[in-house]
Amino acid sequence: MVLETEAIFLIDLLAIFAIYVIVNLSLNMEFGYTGIPNFGKVLAVGAGAFVAASIPGRIFAAMAGIEGDYVLDNLAIVSQVNAWLVDNTGIGFVIFFLTLGMAAAVGGGLGILTSYPAIRMRGDYLAITLLAFGESIRIIGNNFTPLAGGTLGVQLPDPLSFLPDEIRFSVATLGLILITAAVFVFSEKMVRSPLGRLLRAVRDNEVAAESLGKDTARIRMKVIMISAALAAVGGALYAFYVGGAIAFAYDRASWTFWPFLMILIGGLANNKGVLFGTLIFVTVRKLIIFFKDSFEGLVPFDIIWLDFLLLGVILLAILLYRPQGLFVEKPTATVGGGAGRAGKGRGGAGRRLFNLLFR
Amino acid sequence: MALDPIFSDAVIFASLLSLLSIGLTLTYLTTRVPNFAHASFATIGVYMALVATHIWGATPYVSIPVAFVASGLVAVSLYVFILKPLIRKGASQAILMIATLAFDLILIAGLNIFADFVVQTFRIASREFTLRSYDAELAGLPMIVFVAPAAIIVLSLTLYIVLKKTKFGIAMRAATENQDLSETVGINVKRIYVVSWMLGGGLAGVAGALMALWFQGDPNLGPLMIPSIFAASIAGGFLSIYGAIAGGLLLGFTEVLGTRFLAGEFGSWLIAYRPLIPLAFIVVTLMLAPRGMAGINWSWLERRVRRHGSGD
Repeated sequence: MVLETEAIFLIDLLAIFAIYVIVNLSLNMEFGYTGIPNFGKVLAVGAGAFVAASIPGRIFAAMAGIEGDYVLDNLAIVSQVNAWLVDNTGIGFVIFFLTLGMAAAVGGGLGILTSYPAIRMRGDYLAITLLAFGESIRIIGNNFTPLAGGTLGVQLPDPLSFLPDEIRFSVATLGLILITAAVFVFSEKMVRSPLGRLLRAVRDNEVAAESLGKDTARIRMKVIMISAALAAVGGALYAFYVGGAIAFAYDRASWTFWPFLMILIGGLANNKGVLFGTLIFVTVRKLIIFFKDSFEGLVPFDIIWLDFLLLGVILLAILLYRPQGLFVEKPTATVGGGAGRAGKGRGGAGRRLFNLLFR
Repeated sequence: MALDPIFSDAVIFASLLSLLSIGLTLTYLTTRVPNFAHASFATIGVYMALVATHIWGATPYVSIPVAFVASGLVAVSLYVFILKPLIRKGASQAILMIATLAFDLILIAGLNIFADFVVQTFRIASREFTLRSYDAELAGLPMIVFVAPAAIIVLSLTLYIVLKKTKFGIAMRAATENQDLSETVGINVKRIYVVSWMLGGGLAGVAGALMALWFQGDPNLGPLMIPSIFAASIAGGFLSIYGAIAGGLLLGFTEVLGTRFLAGEFGSWLIAYRPLIPLAFIVVTLMLAPRGMAGINWSWLERRVRRHGSGD
């Protein structure tokens, strides 16, 4: 049985949605809740993808006793590894989750290293430093070939090789959604915990937070570390999902600018907004790509630039006319759920309808 | 006399980087927003030079005033239509930075569309092109080797005179120093900000027009240059125009000659990692002198060094 076009469209959409939700939740933690303008989000995502591209394949090849240069004979080695993985499913999964762990560690470490020089400076210096570091990941990935094959890219082994072709795609998407759900729960718990309240305190009034004895620079660094680790997991999952990694795919537009657009559509400091913003963006983007061919030839330039133009204009329009996004930040319920319920009584019929629909 | 082309490379790159940092600093002084679209203003200048040379059939230098006006107007529109309304609505600095990033994306898309349009209509290369062969010669060297540093010298003298001696310059310094106080003494701060953005964007456009004479022009130059421009500006202190000139020259020479030196020592594979030099520059500046060269107390440093010298 071959999957229908619509089904493939939907399954792929859900997978990309799940991956972007992880990245966006991590960005929302930084920018929405703590106010750190991380314009170098691509760094952690790319680092995660490069970990996934360079480490698990080599481990599998060594375990299966496959000889050869991993980058030069990449295609042959990966197909042999995939064949070997059919009989070694358990090891495949262990290494897969180990890779996610390694990606998180590398991402978190890079988060600390790249933010350290500017962590005590004003917000714009931190933003510039992170942006500059974000631009570097592509340069390193392009030139240091053992990482991700340079400009040619590398293939990734597929831990789901044991499944027949028809269902592998759907199972991968299901797995991604489960991991994303776990990240969502973690993120929700975190922002509702005392740490979450501390983050908003740092964002809204740094001086007050410091006068209460909170080390705001340390807290910012901690948040950057956690969210970089999460974004790196997202990057590693993306590399596994598309089955390959290539440095130029990790550009500022895809992994910094669009995540900002998505969380601003949904509304800052609001994980539900992240879900809606990501869903809207991913669907629109997918439709644009889907119908791209029908526009080809109508205009005297590559249609992809119209896409850039449109998204840039949409973001400016949101900033100018609806800066709070679709969902406005509300008093957050504690883990026990107290404040949220107390807030429920206030507001008119609209608020009640809203609560009915979305709470 | 044959001069190693690396020196021409260094002189031109350092001069243009200074020009770009001056422009960035001018806009930062007024609105306190790091403008991430600044490098794409220069790319507009690059394309003005292409249009002047290939479509009008003139010398590329004709494009300098055109590029100044075009990039200046684009910069003013960013300020007037996007940043000013956002500031009035009380948007945070982070939101303003995102707005400049969005504007940069629109500019890059526009430049790419323009490049595709030029190829289709005029059948000339509009990506990875260079106008080197259209440059005039002076003393056996391409003219740009002299024009780029001359532009910096003329510009710094002009800016010095304007900022220190004219009424407008004094009003401008007052407006950037304290907006409210300047307004109370009757300075039209809004107009001064518009002029600063015009100047800042225009200078970037001029840098772009000159850049096309030596380096490769491409619609996606912006993201490649942004780290260097910011590194130079941060090294200069970000709030001082003379700091920006010094930062641009220092980083420009370090980037070109440093890469050459390291490649000679360790092998040519290092050349590809040249973009990491501005990163190292940012890190070193922020760790050692976070307020840049303008923030260093030079006389104190000199006394210290002298005391250590005589102590031996």
